Amino acid sequence: MSDTRRRSRGSQEEPAGPSNGVGVRNRSERTGDMGDEDDVVGGPSGISEEDDDPTRRREIRSKYRDLINQVQQNREDMLNPANNKLTDVLEEANKLFVNVRQAREAALDAQLLVLATDLGKEKASQLHAEGSAFDPSAFAEHLLSFMGLNRLEDESGQDGHLEGYLPQGAWQKLANRSESCFKTAPSFHYMLGSFLAEPPPPRQRVERQRRVPSKEAKRIMPTQLKQMEESHQEATEKEVERILGCLQRYFADDSGEPISYYEFVIDPNSFSRTVENIFHTSFLIRDGLVRMFLDNDELPCIAPVEEGEIEPGGASIRHQCVISINQESWREIIDAFDIKEALIPVPEVLSQES
Amino acid sequence: MSQRKKSVSASQNKTQRRSQASLNEDEEASFSQVSSSQVQRARENFTSDQIDRKVAEVVQFILIKDQKKMPIRRADIVKHVIKDYKLLYTDIINRVCRTFEQVFGLKLVETDPKNHIYILINKLDPIQGEPVSMRPVNPKKGLLFVILSVIFMKGGVIKENLVWNSLKKLRVDPGEKHDEFGDVKKVVTDEFVRQKYLEYVKIPHTEPVEYEFRWGLRSEKEVSKLKMLEFVGELFEQDPQSWTQQFREASTVDSSSQRTSS
Repeated sequence: MSDTRRRSRGSQEEPAGPSNGVGVRNRSERTGDMGDEDDVVGGPSGISEEDDDPTRRREIRSKYRDLINQVQQNREDMLNPANNKLTDVLEEANKLFVNVRQAREAALDAQLLVLATDLGKEKASQLHAEGSAFDPSAFAEHLLSFMGLNRLEDESGQDGHLEGYLPQGAWQKLANRSESCFKTAPSFHYMLGSFLAEPPPPRQRVERQRRVPSKEAKRIMPTQLKQMEESHQEATEKEVERILGCLQRYFADDSGEPISYYEFVIDPNSFSRTVENIFHTSFLIRDGLVRMFLDNDELPCIAPVEEGEIEPGGASIRHQCVISINQESWREIIDAFDIKEALIPVPEVLSQES
Repeated sequence: MSQRKKSVSASQNKTQRRSQASLNEDEEASFSQVSSSQVQRARENFTSDQIDRKVAEVVQFILIKDQKKMPIRRADIVKHVIKDYKLLYTDIINRVCRTFEQVFGLKLVETDPKNHIYILINKLDPIQGEPVSMRPVNPKKGLLFVILSVIFMKGGVIKENLVWNSLKKLRVDPGEKHDEFGDVKKVVTDEFVRQKYLEYVKIPHTEPVEYEFRWGLRSEKEVSKLKMLEFVGELFEQDPQSWTQQFREASTVDSSSQRTSS
C-alpha cells in the first residue's frame, strides 16, 4: 500500500519546473517544522529515494549558502552597473533549483531571491539617476564641515570610531541656515512680558540665610536686615563711583575741557537711564567731587574738582538747585545738541531692559 | 501564536477606527445637513460684533495651538471656541483665513480635507540671512533638514536604516541620549511624524518589521525643494542642476505651489 502511495505522490513529483515547486510548497504547509525529518530517507513522506538523497540535498543547500554569502559579502561589487554578476548569481540559482525537491532547499532559494531582488531594485534605481548620484556619506561629511567639526589631529581613528567632536552651537548653525528652506509660521509668543523676570538664584540665597537663624535667637535678624540695606547703598555708591571714573576719563582725554552737562548725562536711547544718570551725578556734586557751572554760552557744564581744590566739610560756597526733566525736554535736548550716543556707558547688569 | 496576536491588535485598530469614523460621521452630519436658510437665520441671531469677536478668538486659538506645530482639528476649534456659533462655521473660518493672510501673512491650510485638520504656514518666502522670528531657531530644525534632504535626494522614499546611519555619521545615535535632542528616535519617529513633517510607514511583508520614511504633508507645503537643493549644492560645491532628476522635481513643485498660493 505504501508503494502505491509513494508512486502516486511520486508521479506528482516527476515533472520538473513550476509544478515541482507547487508540490513542495503543499507539503511544507502540512509538515511545518522540518527538524530532523529531512535526513530520514523515504518512508512516510512518500518521496522517491533519489529525490531524498541526503548527501545530494546537503550539497544543494551548501551551494545555495555559498551564493547567499556571495551576494551579501560582495554587495558593492554586485551593484556596480559595469558587470552582470547579479545575473550570473541568478542563473546559478536557477540551475540549482531544478534539483530542489523539498521545502528546506526551496526556503534557501527564496532567501537568495529576496537578497537578489533587493539588489536588483537598487541597481535599477541607479539607472534612473541621469544626473549625479547622491552619496549620503559624503553629504554627512560636508555637513560636519559646515557645522565646524573639530578634527582632532593626535587621535588616530580606529575603524568605526568617529574622530573629532562638534562644537557647541553646531546644530544651531545648521538650523539657522536651513531655516530659509522652510516657510514655517513663526510661533506665537508675547513680545514683552509684564515684568522683567529676575534670575532666581539671589532670592534662594536670601531664603536659606533666613531659615537658619530662625532656630537661633532673634538677635541675628537685625544684622540680616542691616546687610541688605548696605547692599542697596553699595549699589548706588558703585554707580556714582563709576560715573566719576567716566567723567575723569573724558576730562583727561579732552585736555581739561569742561564737558557739557547735558551731553554727559543724557542717554539718547533711554529716558529712564538719563534720569538715573542725573540722580547719580547729583551725588558727585553734593560730595564736592564735581563742580557744575555755566559757561560762556550760559549752558551748564561739569568738570571734576582738582585734587587740591577739594575741601571736605564744604567751606566753599555751596549753591543748591533742582533739576527737572521730562520726556519732551529730553527729546528736545537730544535734537538740539545732536546727541548720538550716551557718554555714560550702560551698566552690565541692567543691559537687558529696553 | 504571532498570528493570533496580530489579529487581536488588528481588531483593536478596527474598533478604534470605527469609533473615530462614527465621530467623524456625526461631525459631518452636523455640518453637511445645515441648510442655507439655517445659516441665514444663524447670521441674524448674532450681532456683527459678536461674530467679529468669535473670528478673533478662533485666530488666537489657532495661533496658540500652532506653537507646538501640531495640526489643529476642526473638532477642537468647534468644541472650544465656536460652540454656539457652529452653524456659522464656514463664515467664520473664511474670515479667519482672510485675517491670517492679510494681517499676519500666514496661510491656514487644510492638510486633510476628510478629517478637517489644519496647519498654519507662512505665506511669505523667507529671505536668507534674515531671521523669521525674534526667537532663535530650534536646533531640531537642523535635524529635520538633514532627514528631509536625504529623503528628497534619494527619490522620496528611503528605508529607515539609511536615516539612522546618516545620523550616526553626524554623531547622533538613535540608541543613545543626545545632548541637544534627547531621545532622538522619539523625536524623529514620533514628534516629527505627529507634526506631519515626516511619515514613518511600515513596509508590508517584512519580517522583522522594517519602516520607511517619506515627506509628511506639512513638509510638502512648507519646504522649498529648490532652496533645499541649492543648499545641498553649496555643501557639495556642485551646481544644483547636476542632480537633474531632483532639480526637475524641485522646479515643478515650486512653480505649482506658487500658482496655488493665491
